[in-house]
Amino acid sequence: MKKVEMKQLIEKIEGEAELDFTFNDGEIDDVKINFGFYRGIEEILREKDARDALVITPRVCGICNHAHLIASVRAIEDGYKRAGVEVNLSSKAKDIREFTLACELIQNHIKWLYLTILPQLKRYVGERSEENYAIKASYLSTTITKALAIFAGQWPHSSYAVVGGVSCDPTHLDVIQAQSLVEESIRFFEQVVIGMDLEEYLAIKSITQLSEIEGDFGNLLYLLGSNDMATIGKSHDRFIVFAESPLSVSAKSIGTQLSKVDVRYVKESMQENTVAKAVEYKKRLYEVGSLSRGMVAKRPIIKSLHKRYKDSLMTRVFARVDEVGVLLKSCKNLLQNLALDEPSCTLPLNKMALHFEGVGIVEASRGSLIHKTKVKNGKIVNYEIITPTQWNLSHGTKEEQGVAIKAMVGAKSVEEATFVFRTFDVCSVCTTQ
Amino acid sequence: MSKPKLLWLQSITCNGNTHSFLNHPELFSILAHFELIHHPVLESDYSFQEVIEGSVPCDVLILEGSFVQEGFLKAGVEVSSVIEHYAKRAKDIITVGTCATFGGIFKQKEPDKISGFAFDIEEKTARYKEYASKLISLPGCPIHPRWLSFVLLMITNGKKVEIDELHRPVELYGYTVHMGCTRNEYFEWKVDVKNFGLKEGCLFYEQGCQAPYTRGSCNKILWNDTSSKTRVGTPCFGCTEPSFPKTSLFTTKTNMGIPAKMPLGVPRRAYLTLTGVTKSFKIKRFSERLLEYDK
Repeated sequence: MKKVEMKQLIEKIEGEAELDFTFNDGEIDDVKINFGFYRGIEEILREKDARDALVITPRVCGICNHAHLIASVRAIEDGYKRAGVEVNLSSKAKDIREFTLACELIQNHIKWLYLTILPQLKRYVGERSEENYAIKASYLSTTITKALAIFAGQWPHSSYAVVGGVSCDPTHLDVIQAQSLVEESIRFFEQVVIGMDLEEYLAIKSITQLSEIEGDFGNLLYLLGSNDMATIGKSHDRFIVFAESPLSVSAKSIGTQLSKVDVRYVKESMQENTVAKAVEYKKRLYEVGSLSRGMVAKRPIIKSLHKRYKDSLMTRVFARVDEVGVLLKSCKNLLQNLALDEPSCTLPLNKMALHFEGVGIVEASRGSLIHKTKVKNGKIVNYEIITPTQWNLSHGTKEEQGVAIKAMVGAKSVEEATFVFRTFDVCSVCTTQ
Repeated sequence: MSKPKLLWLQSITCNGNTHSFLNHPELFSILAHFELIHHPVLESDYSFQEVIEGSVPCDVLILEGSFVQEGFLKAGVEVSSVIEHYAKRAKDIITVGTCATFGGIFKQKEPDKISGFAFDIEEKTARYKEYASKLISLPGCPIHPRWLSFVLLMITNGKKVEIDELHRPVELYGYTVHMGCTRNEYFEWKVDVKNFGLKEGCLFYEQGCQAPYTRGSCNKILWNDTSSKTRVGTPCFGCTEPSFPKTSLFTTKTNMGIPAKMPLGVPRRAYLTLTGVTKSFKIKRFSERLLEYDK
């Protein structure tokens, strides 16, 4: 047996990471993932006003800032309720929050598709391409975040979700403009990404129909299939979703076996040699993100892919792009049914809890994001953030390797392993918040 | 003539400025004026490893993120040394975001060690002098994509960008965020907002809005070409200011019921006189909803 160690700097992943690979007889048998700088957002929050978290926590991450905002407002609202202050969101406020969150997920997934997966895959398989994929990412991201900004004022770094609702007071004019931007995004998705009608796409149930998909997604599936990507990248085959959303319920799926989850069993721990903390659920590691949501929601096409290819790279990548279609449909429905005659914020300005503990959970683009806040005399005494990337990229426990590491084990080259790594949509800044 | 070589480097950051700029509708026309040497996300001519080795060219240097002299390594190299290496060679340096400009949010982790590149809050850092002649500050958390494109296009057009004492372009930061706010009438007549989630009322009196004394053109050059914080009822948190982020961001600090901080350049006496006058009138239109769906 011959052990060889290799180091690789991974860039363009929302920061950088360094991977230390150990090869054993020509195959990777372990990987150490090292992230950069610990920025200490949790420490920065201490002694600030409880609501300041709505401004500070989005600054954890430039690409999923909105998810942090929603997680932090939910944490405060949970705390208020537990302290006896009634918080009942109007359906309008709930729907607007779901809408803006969905816009952010679409922005994120589409950037991952065009800035990471397609160019990296072409490079990996040695196919030269002069295509400007980035312009596609930028176009859809610009369009959909404009729809988001109609309600949230801006993206990135909005703080429009306030305790008891949302700060905006949209008119029909606003909704019509947002609808038009969603329609534009759907048109782009149909004509450029999938090369087919959205409704027909969403009706696809089985892998036998995948050849109907054209466009860049069709091309991607072809490249993945013809390069054996359906056999690599398998991990623990365990999936977890903590927040209810239009995408899925909250549950875990071991293989295809569904069962309930309770966020109280989530445990965070320090790891050696990296500033990223590891996280586990009842002593087991779970994958979070689009694939997990698709599995928990039992979306037929995801189940069909999983039945054949398990949690391979192919299934993981498919689930991520697939979610764009599901989210666009959800965006359209949310706007169509938005109850503008309801109040935006139901909590009066003078109603406030001063001592509380609360948990806020949200499905961010990379998976479940958890915020916990502890407040005394109106000031934060402790704040904890558990990001999706911590689930997927931890080193693991004594018993089992981390989710992404397990997926890389068995790879024959650094190039293969780093491509597997990128399919998790690594976010260095979230991991080292 | 060859195009100016553009290098985008990151220090302690959330990538918010990178992603904000990716939302520029004319992104690729703007970038077409440059040779993209390296960018945190976009495909570029050189790898990050090559950047670290110090061998790549650089005319225009964009810096994102707070600065720390020691202790932040990428691939075994101090980020500060990489930045200074290219800062010496660049013809123009643009600090994008409040972190790179003044220190920003991440400064609060270690206030004695972390700062902006050339400013530590408002104080000049030791390296200010060496780079002052080619420095442009674009504070904002994050920057507006059009603010950056303005500066980049001015540079490629060979035009001089007029700056203030903190090196901010006056065309962008000569305004306050308050200018252009759709709630201006409520400010003038001292009508505060009754709750969040209403388009009527001003957020300056109770909700902590800092727009009247924050420099920035958020309500002139709208965010995502469509809106702004104050337009959707969120107070301005002063994210372009050296002091960002302050504390108690959703509460206006007051002295005897009067906002503790006055609108930019307005003497307290002038403010009080006007308030006295406006408060003596009750204007019906300002106590009514603009339009109601919930009648």
